[in-house]
Amino acid sequence: MTAQAIIQSLASGLLMGLLYGLIAVGLALIFGLMDVTNFAHGEFLMIAMYLSFFLFAFFAIDPLLSAPLVAAALFVFGAVIYLLIVRFAMRAKANAGMVQIFTTFGLAIVMRGLAQYFFTPDYRSIPQSWLGGKTISIAGIFLPEPQLVGALVSIAAFAGLYFFIHRTDFGRAIEATREDPGAVALVGIDKNRVFAFGWGLGAALVGLAGAIMASFFYIYPDVGASFALIAYVTVALGGFGSVFGAFAGGIIVGLVEATTALVLPPSLKSVGIYAVYLLVVFIRPRGLFGSI
Amino acid sequence: MTITRRDVLLGATATAALVPLAARAQTTEVVIGVIYPFSGGSAQQGVDAQKAYETALEVINKDTAFDLPLAKGEGLPGLGGAKVRLVFADHQADPQKGRAEAERLITQEKVCAIIGTYQSAVAVTVSQICERYQVPFVSADNSSPSLHRRGLKYYFRAAPHDEMYSAAMFDFFDAMKKKGTKIETLSLFHEDTIFGTDSGNAQAKIAGERGYKIVTDIKYRANSPSLSAEVQQLKSAKADVLMPSSYTTDGILLVKTMAELGYKPNAIVAQDAGFSEKALYDAVGDKLEGVISRGTFSLDLAQKRPMVGKINDMFKAKSGKDFNDLTSRQFMGLIILADAISRAKSTDGEKIRDALAATDIPGEQTIMPWKRVKFDEMGQNNDADPVLLQYIGGKFVTIFPPQAAIAEAVWPMK
Repeated sequence: MTAQAIIQSLASGLLMGLLYGLIAVGLALIFGLMDVTNFAHGEFLMIAMYLSFFLFAFFAIDPLLSAPLVAAALFVFGAVIYLLIVRFAMRAKANAGMVQIFTTFGLAIVMRGLAQYFFTPDYRSIPQSWLGGKTISIAGIFLPEPQLVGALVSIAAFAGLYFFIHRTDFGRAIEATREDPGAVALVGIDKNRVFAFGWGLGAALVGLAGAIMASFFYIYPDVGASFALIAYVTVALGGFGSVFGAFAGGIIVGLVEATTALVLPPSLKSVGIYAVYLLVVFIRPRGLFGSI
Repeated sequence: MTITRRDVLLGATATAALVPLAARAQTTEVVIGVIYPFSGGSAQQGVDAQKAYETALEVINKDTAFDLPLAKGEGLPGLGGAKVRLVFADHQADPQKGRAEAERLITQEKVCAIIGTYQSAVAVTVSQICERYQVPFVSADNSSPSLHRRGLKYYFRAAPHDEMYSAAMFDFFDAMKKKGTKIETLSLFHEDTIFGTDSGNAQAKIAGERGYKIVTDIKYRANSPSLSAEVQQLKSAKADVLMPSSYTTDGILLVKTMAELGYKPNAIVAQDAGFSEKALYDAVGDKLEGVISRGTFSLDLAQKRPMVGKINDMFKAKSGKDFNDLTSRQFMGLIILADAISRAKSTDGEKIRDALAATDIPGEQTIMPWKRVKFDEMGQNNDADPVLLQYIGGKFVTIFPPQAAIAEAVWPMK
């Protein structure tokens, strides 16, 4: 094994990890805000990828340009899903946790089914985009441009989110609602508006990830599944309720995956992720940066 | 009671409606179960398979002029012209769901035979259930060699298996070496279910016997979000030939990642599956000029056997696609099965089994480049000659074996 191979693996792992982080942050945000796990998170990603694909196929808008559009559309989609479905699931008197799980899980299955019905199960991809297939080579280390841009977008989006939560009034309202949803009503904050906004924001972040991914990954109705599983592990590893933890968790997962594939047979590369995850919950059950 | 004109008319209509019913009652209907993934990651294969089976159904149930078994005349002559009806079931690429669906088809839908399944892993469980109920199972498009070696009495496969395909690849390498091409080292890259594992094992075995060196043998997790670590290892190995055994999604990701990490092998010789899929060439075809895949079907055959082109047109009208390696095998599988049922003159499982075992169809009466269809005692047709196809200028041309080839291989690939 050469030094170059090791550096290449770490670089690929880091780029992938930042993307995992971006996907997981939206999930962590919703969970942190209202204790609801969105089991349709992977399907949100799938919808974003299709949206990006169709914008390219019908209007020739490059995925890089359509990313803000897709994020905005997903924002509306997320908020609407909250207002139409999740809001009512949260009113359940008995077994509230179960009701929420089955609601979002059912939503995932419906979304997947609808995607298969309307978009067919065919595999799509965007063959000619500005970034697609392009690669930067530095001293024999190859950095694919779509992933590189994805990593930069991911860092920027996370920085923006961090600033938003900690520096703006609305961000503080989100934090306050998260701390005590009952008390905020007393100071005139509409809990439902904050939650809807939180869902929108979470969906917009995964929408951003989906739009970027559309330029280098294949698209089909089940595409969300493999990424969603990693996102759940990432959130649990980083710590439930912590947006920063989800982001850091993503990077760790990406790096662990790449290093495992270096030392073990590649078919076992996800074993490394779960081993690290088990180790973390064993030592620190709330996750690395968890507050709950 | 007075009889009005209306009553007479109604009575007449009712009688008219009943006549064909009575006529139909004399001939029985033959029900065959078709098990495919119709949802999940491989759903497209199921959708395409359904179109292939419906094309075969048209040939069987309608009067067509093709030189195929059952093409002339309507329905199954051995059963008084009985029509074949297909019942489709979804196994979702899950062996356990396949097992349950096979059981349901046999006990609830009363099918007299089952055909399937795309994934070899599912064929394992489905064929076991069929064996238990003594219902014949035709493995139309599964290629794992281990499938027919389990001593099952009701298992039949007309198409080649991966060892035959792999042997054809090595025959081709031997022939290329004789012409002076340097082929010494190989990289194997295969997914971790039964298809990839069997394919990798078969290739490793033949490589050892014929003196080729395997420099890296990568078994990877199917449907991984990233293949960069795997491609990195392939790249460092620098083999003369890369031999992937991957389904469509992994195949797309493999080719994209190879381009991203600057890995360009001299040649790719693929074990079909994803590399015979239109979706893969739509996605990354520009990076695959000169890729070689094994196959059991070649549209080039239409030049020698015009009915191949005509049947392909029938399929294309339904699916919008040309026959590929999978859909052609599915089409032939149903023709062969229905022919056996007709010769059995019965829908009894054991009689159909015996008729299948006695099958002997000359290659010219198929749409395949096969010598003939004749099953050995394990239910495998050893006369199903594979072909190697090369992707040149946006389509596949047959390059091997010489008797089927219409062009010379381009080596190295561009």
